[in-house]
Amino acid sequence: MKRAVGALLCVALVACAGILGLTRPASTQFPHRAHVIAGVTCTKCHQGVEAGGPGLHLPDDASCLTCHAKPHDTRSCLGCHVPPGRIEALVEAKQHLIFDHAKHLKGEAQGNCMRCHVGVADGDARMRPVMATCFKCHGEAQSARKCDGCHKDLAEDGSLPQSHLAHDGNWVRDHGMRAASSGDLCETCHKQSFCADCHGQTVPTLTSRRRLADPFSASAHRAGFSARHSLEARADPGACATCHQPDKCIACHTAKQVAGDTRATPHPRGWVGLTSAENLHGREARRDPAACASCHGGAGEKLCVQCHAVGGVGGTPHPPGWSSRQPLSAMPCRLCHPIGAR
Amino acid sequence: MKLAPLVGIALAAAPVAADPLRLRADALATTASPAGLLVLEADGALRSGMSAEAVVWMAGDRTSGEGASGDVLVIAVQAQTKTGFARGKVGRFVSSLGALRPVHVDGGALRLRLPKRFDAEVFAGMPVSPAGFIDGRSWDWIAGGRVARRLGDYGSVGVGYAQRRDAGRLATEELGLDAGAAIDKRHDLGARLAYDLVTPGLAEVGVSASRRTGGVRTELYARHRSPSHLLPATSLFSVIGDVPSQRAGTVITWRAAPRLDLIADLAARRVDDEYGEELVGRARLRLDPRGASVVGGELRRSGGGLSAWTGVRALARIALPHAFAIATELELVIPDEDRGRGGVWPWGLVATTWERSDWQAAVAVEASASPEYRHRIDALFQLSRRWSVK
Repeated sequence: MKRAVGALLCVALVACAGILGLTRPASTQFPHRAHVIAGVTCTKCHQGVEAGGPGLHLPDDASCLTCHAKPHDTRSCLGCHVPPGRIEALVEAKQHLIFDHAKHLKGEAQGNCMRCHVGVADGDARMRPVMATCFKCHGEAQSARKCDGCHKDLAEDGSLPQSHLAHDGNWVRDHGMRAASSGDLCETCHKQSFCADCHGQTVPTLTSRRRLADPFSASAHRAGFSARHSLEARADPGACATCHQPDKCIACHTAKQVAGDTRATPHPRGWVGLTSAENLHGREARRDPAACASCHGGAGEKLCVQCHAVGGVGGTPHPPGWSSRQPLSAMPCRLCHPIGAR
Repeated sequence: MKLAPLVGIALAAAPVAADPLRLRADALATTASPAGLLVLEADGALRSGMSAEAVVWMAGDRTSGEGASGDVLVIAVQAQTKTGFARGKVGRFVSSLGALRPVHVDGGALRLRLPKRFDAEVFAGMPVSPAGFIDGRSWDWIAGGRVARRLGDYGSVGVGYAQRRDAGRLATEELGLDAGAAIDKRHDLGARLAYDLVTPGLAEVGVSASRRTGGVRTELYARHRSPSHLLPATSLFSVIGDVPSQRAGTVITWRAAPRLDLIADLAARRVDDEYGEELVGRARLRLDPRGASVVGGELRRSGGGLSAWTGVRALARIALPHAFAIATELELVIPDEDRGRGGVWPWGLVATTWERSDWQAAVAVEASASPEYRHRIDALFQLSRRWSVK
């Protein structure tokens, strides 16, 4: 029985391997290092690279056959000896980057390809230079955040950073913490409209951000958020106020008849009463005052003042030891503290 | 009509553009209200070191009876010196300075790169309010600044200060401290602290550190927030005390296979004297090397008192021939306590999209049941077009 289960698991794994993208990298990795050690120069295979130009300068079968006289297969050499997706990535890079091999080979590199393609010495896994390699010579571009020297249109091509500031995990929640000290870095890719889509005060959301085609796109208000927003707000007090003005909620709440001059109320029984046990509102208001302000802000504050003004039946709403730099004549103090009252 | 001059300014930039000027129009219509929204977006480089950006929107809602409305979301001109020593912008934009809260302003901002890896940033303007762009408004303003010292290639330590006045009255006075650095290729951290100076007390503190090893990224985070300090000091609700909430947890992102990503977000939180758990498990499987077709799922448990709920979500995007695709997202939320709001809140969306060169179109049906509606079905239509003008 155990053998049968084991065999079944093996079959399932093999069947899933294709779906999961599991391949044998060693068989498709091109042995650059072995060619260099054998004394094959880069330009022998990558013909024309020293002259630059628009092509990819990849070797064709004919250039391989100058040395490998007896191919073991009739298929194209690059069809098997290059990892899947690598050539497509190269084409994409060519579309999005401004780069001229000819200029670089004549300049600092002085004909030495390995000055940038350091991966040849390390092995064959990563041949394209990482950005840190570029910055060894182009440090001024990094410090001035001048990305357009290499990137044709960073804001549009959708590139994501691969290491630090990688937009993974729960980036929507954490971006503020990460971006706080790297605001200028964010601006190298993100336009103002990107920030204003959430932090802007004049429109609820941009149409372009309502990505019907991509349910995987990150958003603070995913899927059925309108149904569960009260639960989310209660579990994370103040979260709404980090982006929204408190009065942003009242228009919707009034229209839906959960606030304003309507008989409907979202509050449970015992919200306001004569005894402390019947006065849930005080405790809840302290937990998330922004939630109260979302409906009772502005003119609605008078509702609170009726009971909590100096001498009122509601007593003082301040906690012990509370202090403020505001003078009593300023808002909101003067609502409850008429001139002369303390 | 008040938008006409602004649209004019945006369009007038076109003939001056040396680099491509990008234009984009997005239209969304829903049967929900029924309502329509049209967004026009333009950006481009006027000349080397100078660029402009504008986003305006117009909406119509037949149920509100207010007719068409519209406003400007962004209209800004940015310029920087050739060496990047100084960079400034004027117009309507979102200002974000270190740990200080982002603010949407009509004003100007300037950043200077000083010697010894120091940076200085200042901004000033009028806070944007939905109906206050051209209409008469009382004298509100906000101003702030930040001084920072860069660390390594991508990090910095900074201190910022901002003060906001509403109708001349002190509404916000905040001090912010921020720090962030990529320590090496595998480790980075970020931290921010905002202190309310009007009613002295911590408004928000957050710390996050992550480590990357192979296909696994592990992040530890902790956050403290005092909602009363996030309110304007002019609000009555800013005087009723300070009950902060805390949350701490870890996010583990694992590329389990070349096409399979697994994410676990495990956290605990405290609000007043109430404790709860926040657990999320997410999986995403790409069905082709380029990720054109993807399926995913998510499980979530949010515990703690009256707000506890459990949710499950399934997502899929399947690429079809002729640039068509089908996207769907289904969600089921089960609150722990019914309280007359329904025991299950389902939500679903099925969309068919088509995208070719500069055109994008989508038709979707959204259906849900929630505390607000016993059942509801809406249709959405979206059409986008992009232009690039040399």
